[in-house]
Amino acid sequence: MSGTLQVSILWLLPLLLLPLAVYSGFRMLIGIARKEQGEGERDWSVPQLEFEGGESSPVHRWDVRFKLASFLILAFVIVSLQHPQTALAALMLALLGYRLAAIPWRRGFKRLLGMAGFLSMFLLMLPLTAVRHSGDLVLVFGSIDWLGFNLRGLDLAILIILRAATVALLMEPLLATAPLPVTLAGLARMGVPRRLTELLLISHRYLYVFLHEARRMQIGMEVRGFRKSTSLATLRSVGNYVGMLFVRSFERTERVHAAMLARGYQGYWPQPISFNVMPADYLKAAALIGLGLLLVICDQFMVG
Amino acid sequence: MHQLIKPVELEHEDLLMQVESLSYRYPDGTQALAGIDLQVRAGDRIALVGHNGSGKTTLVKQLCGLLQPDEGRVRYKGEQLSGEHLASARLEIGLLFQDPDDQLFGNSLYEDVAFGPRNQGLSEVDVDLAVRQALRSVGLEDLLFKPPHALSYGQKKRAALAGLLAMRPSLLILDEPTANLDPAQERIFLDLLKNYSGTLILISHDLIFLYELCERALVLDRARVHHDYALKELVEHRPSLREHGLDFSFRFAESRRREERVEVERRKVRDPSDGTGPAAENPSTLVDLRSLSYRYPDGTEALRGIDLAIQPGERLALVGENGAGKSTLLMCLLGILPFSGEYLFTGKKIMPGKGRLVWQQTGMVFQDCADQLVCPSCYDEVAFAPRQFGLDEAQIRIQVEMALKMVKLDGFDDRVPLHLSGGERKRLALASVLSLQPQLLILDEPTAGLDPQGEELLLDILSEIDATLILVSHDIFFVRELTERTLVMHAGQIALDYSTTDFFNDKNLTSLNGLDYTYRDQCALQIRALQHRHEHAHRHKHLHEHDHRHGELVHQHPHEHEHEHCHTYVHRHAEAGAHQHPAQSEYHEHEHPGHEQDDHDHSH
Repeated sequence: MSGTLQVSILWLLPLLLLPLAVYSGFRMLIGIARKEQGEGERDWSVPQLEFEGGESSPVHRWDVRFKLASFLILAFVIVSLQHPQTALAALMLALLGYRLAAIPWRRGFKRLLGMAGFLSMFLLMLPLTAVRHSGDLVLVFGSIDWLGFNLRGLDLAILIILRAATVALLMEPLLATAPLPVTLAGLARMGVPRRLTELLLISHRYLYVFLHEARRMQIGMEVRGFRKSTSLATLRSVGNYVGMLFVRSFERTERVHAAMLARGYQGYWPQPISFNVMPADYLKAAALIGLGLLLVICDQFMVG
Repeated sequence: MHQLIKPVELEHEDLLMQVESLSYRYPDGTQALAGIDLQVRAGDRIALVGHNGSGKTTLVKQLCGLLQPDEGRVRYKGEQLSGEHLASARLEIGLLFQDPDDQLFGNSLYEDVAFGPRNQGLSEVDVDLAVRQALRSVGLEDLLFKPPHALSYGQKKRAALAGLLAMRPSLLILDEPTANLDPAQERIFLDLLKNYSGTLILISHDLIFLYELCERALVLDRARVHHDYALKELVEHRPSLREHGLDFSFRFAESRRREERVEVERRKVRDPSDGTGPAAENPSTLVDLRSLSYRYPDGTEALRGIDLAIQPGERLALVGENGAGKSTLLMCLLGILPFSGEYLFTGKKIMPGKGRLVWQQTGMVFQDCADQLVCPSCYDEVAFAPRQFGLDEAQIRIQVEMALKMVKLDGFDDRVPLHLSGGERKRLALASVLSLQPQLLILDEPTAGLDPQGEELLLDILSEIDATLILVSHDIFFVRELTERTLVMHAGQIALDYSTTDFFNDKNLTSLNGLDYTYRDQCALQIRALQHRHEHAHRHKHLHEHDHRHGELVHQHPHEHEHEHCHTYVHRHAEAGAHQHPAQSEYHEHEHPGHEQDDHDHSH
């Protein structure tokens, strides 16, 4: 079906609310997933992953180098998909993998919620701004004929959202099923410069310190009455705030480096992490990449 | 009396560290160290003291080879600190930084503590043993795999120390190890360091802590070594302490503030209806919390059913162990955190996370004052809050000047906050909230990182401020001086709410939260007793025998003198603040060096 379809102007309202509905949907999912949250303090005397339980899942037992390679290849495959149907199938597979890795849903939904605000805008922007091609079905609302809602644009928006959500969900089994130092050591073994992986490791640690510092400074400003507005005074205050954060971070960097040197740091982080490849690692990698290829073939078949 | 530098001469083979004519200048031209000579013997326990900016931290950085001297030499075990020797020396010297976050760079405690032993080239079995032993010694063995960012401040401090202990250093250098710690955590540090058998260098303004641990005092003053002698001698000599900002005798002065507070408490006992009692029902209540609770996003219950009423003009203290919920309660009082329960401020309901009404009438000075200093000049900093609330510039100028004057920073208008000393920054942070003339003033650990001189000044300033006060502090002296009501927090609840006098008389407090608040008072009294050996002069007679000359005749015989001079004797004070001298006999014998050279006359 192609051409222009005249619909009542009232249809505009639910379409305008579509992004909000998607965003609220994600929030609701987080609310449901919150029930998974464990009560009480963890037992920190044993090695921890990013969450409790599930340490014996097939994804956890997978050699981190194979895991990294397989998931990254799969991510590239997914972003190359052209049809919402195959992208939806990829999302289903990602959810299955997520479940197999026994990761709490809340984490994944929270990650999706972080993207939802931005992605849901595509649902409105692309249909309203997509260039009309022959064969496009465009909804026109009553007498407002200059405002066409292009369903091809909606398709495209859904495709982008599905691809982004799938890749985001894949990142959880990739990053949360091994301690970060092990994942980064795996990256280093795969040829990523060691300096870069060590930088990532330290950045992860100091990201929390930076966020706490930034939050405390923000509170310090808020309790003295600071409220953002579109004024020059706000711009000046925000500039001072960012500058001060920069100065403090710079000073901290110097102190951290001095502390590392004082404890014998000589240019590399001593981490005796060893990897032991099993036949199952090859099998898992082959299965995952095979699924990716299957998705690509299906996608191409749909084009045909 | 002013004792000049008297370096200890040591045999060469005893020396662990030797500093010769060391000078260092920062790239901005600041002379940080000038002509430092120092010898550290194995087993020495040295207190490195002096004013902020005197060069203490720079000196310890030189001792670890983190900075290279412009002139002079630093030797460790006889060899100059450079090249291969420096790399191996760093594995034997432990340096604890002031801010534990600088030192905990691992992603878990285990990884962090293992960093040093792995650099030492130990096998993984030995690394594991060293890590577990070190964390056990600081009481953190249950948190082996916890990420450092999820630790409390006290735990971070202990974890940072564990990272050094795991390396079994022969020289341990600690920079302000107990700043911001509660008495229980401080006790852990004290016990650990008492049992440490290596060489120890401690930088601290806490003379009581130093006195417990060190024998030798190295006093830096304006980049030079000013004294190098026994710590006991420094402690006894009050003028030296005063000169170097270490005199804490103001803590013993009989204070007017304390008398006034006792009087207020007495009035309350006589007339309980005056509306300022701990749980008084009063329509003019400033802060009224009912069943206030807060849970962190990770599910930890931080506050549990807090009921609290604060009347205008009340001055109350909030005490408790690290992690008891004090700071969280302050954040809820400010309306920052999304609490549950009811909160009325001046009778108006405050919605969770919406505290603008509170902010206009409340000033809070943060524990780390750097968190609230964001402006390029002191004037702008103090004017920040009035500007946000829309006051006109003329009014702002008046209020800024008033606030700066109140904190003794008048004339600092154009100075850059980042370049001020720790004490000045703390006072600037106070001025930045006083400029709004708040009804309620909240102070979170105001004495953290201040030297005794800074504390004394802050105490004077705070006692002159006319506002309702909430003081969060582990410094029991400030609690005693500034407040009349004390809330003891424990495990997210207000466990006790009584008068400050009752708090000080509460013998069961230690069993509640394990904090011994009286310990520091006892140590301080010991030091105070020592100080009095130098303080008194009185007219007296004594009999002694020495060579003397009468014309051509030189002879020796006992003779009696009456004169007045500074006179050393030891006496103790029964309690803090009391000061009675023991009875002195008019006639008594004592050492009188050099007396035979003095001009004197007597019947013969």
